[in-house]
Amino acid sequence: MPSITDVNIAHLHLLLNHVPTVGSVVALGLLLLAFVRRDEPLKRAGLEVLFVIAVLTLPVYISGVGAQQKLADRPELSDTAIRVHQDAALAGFTVAEFAGFVAWIALWQSRRRGRAAGLVPAAALLTVVALLLMTRAANLGGEIRHPEIGTVAAVAGAPPVDTAQFVTSKISAIMVNSPWAWPASETVHFLGLSLSFGVLLAVNLRILGVMRHVPFANVHRLLPWGMLGFGTNLITGMLFFVGQPKQYIDSAPFYWKVVFLMIAGANFLYLTVFTKAWTGDREGGWDASAADKAMAVLSLFSWLAVLYGGRMLPFIGHAF
Amino acid sequence: MGVLAWLESLPLSVWVHESPSVWAQPTVLTLHTMGMGVLVGACWVLDLRLLGISRNIPLSAFRWVFSTVAVSLSVNVVTGALLFAQRATSLGLAIPFLIKMLLVVASVATLVPLRSLVLRSDPGECEVSGSARVLAIASIVAWSGAITAGRLLAYLVP
Repeated sequence: MPSITDVNIAHLHLLLNHVPTVGSVVALGLLLLAFVRRDEPLKRAGLEVLFVIAVLTLPVYISGVGAQQKLADRPELSDTAIRVHQDAALAGFTVAEFAGFVAWIALWQSRRRGRAAGLVPAAALLTVVALLLMTRAANLGGEIRHPEIGTVAAVAGAPPVDTAQFVTSKISAIMVNSPWAWPASETVHFLGLSLSFGVLLAVNLRILGVMRHVPFANVHRLLPWGMLGFGTNLITGMLFFVGQPKQYIDSAPFYWKVVFLMIAGANFLYLTVFTKAWTGDREGGWDASAADKAMAVLSLFSWLAVLYGGRMLPFIGHAF
Repeated sequence: MGVLAWLESLPLSVWVHESPSVWAQPTVLTLHTMGMGVLVGACWVLDLRLLGISRNIPLSAFRWVFSTVAVSLSVNVVTGALLFAQRATSLGLAIPFLIKMLLVVASVATLVPLRSLVLRSDPGECEVSGSARVLAIASIVAWSGAITAGRLLAYLVP
């Protein structure tokens, strides 16, 4: 009998791939319930779920590409069916990230003003679109193993189609063949990482006791700039990953990078919504608890680890 | 033997360049990138503040930026010197490298007046003069240029 630790990247994809669709339904349900009940905390919970889905959809996409590389030589699987699924997944991923981004802005505003304003319908609408695209991707994914229920003509053994028509292939062709696309994206990636680093350094140093007399609300004001840096790096990072997936999918540092990104993402959500600092400020100068200080150290460590994984990628061995 | 060739022939330079160890070039390069993120990030937070983001934070609260800069700049001067020495003959006279150095010097130069601005401000003072805003813009532009030139070195001076 196979051991539970005997999982590979394809197993991981099969486990994680339910998160975007099921999660979106849950988030939409929470938002709908919050709207009917006029319940502000419930609305925030729905937005938080949307943000978490956006974070978790990254490893769903990445593990999918890993599964593709792992199973590429199986004759019973249609390469075309996998590529059709991948294009659909990239579309769903993109809209899910936008939904998570808008949900995050709504959460940030809600923390400052006491209620989530006009962006909630926008986040819900984007989630509906993401859900439709993700459902399509999920169906096409199911057909890879079950061509008999399929609508895609691509069954194993069918003559290969021109792979250049796929969006992922087009992005890859630009990233690899253009003399400037990769260097320009690298440059923007470095600018974005500096911006994120600066903002998270300021916010976490405040939690650690530097700038003790500054109300937390004032450093919280900086968070969207950190998000801007992070968003820039998600886009440029995905351009690298879609451009040259083989370079990343076998690399141990890349997986560590994604793991620490998940931790950093959870921490970013906490920094955005936690209330202790705000009530502490009202009572005259918030002093963080030991647990919050430990969290600030973990946050700074995670971001350094994300950078370490990225920069060490070309040097540390291929472990998978 | 020229100075550049001599630098490149030092045992430490040869080790950084040739050693298969993860502690040689990979770690030096990664430390240089971490130093860059902390150094430029800290400067940019102060620049954003001077340009009006989170304008309720008094300038005197930003003293931490300069101790952070001191540490990260030291890391990057040391790692940068190592990265330069190992390839001194190809980098030493390359125009993109000289442009990067010029931009780094310009960026660091903006820190001198910014530092005295923050250190001299009274506790609670939030007013920012027009010249301080110009300095902030100069700092953002110069650091962006330095990062761009540094990153493109890998492609322009292979």
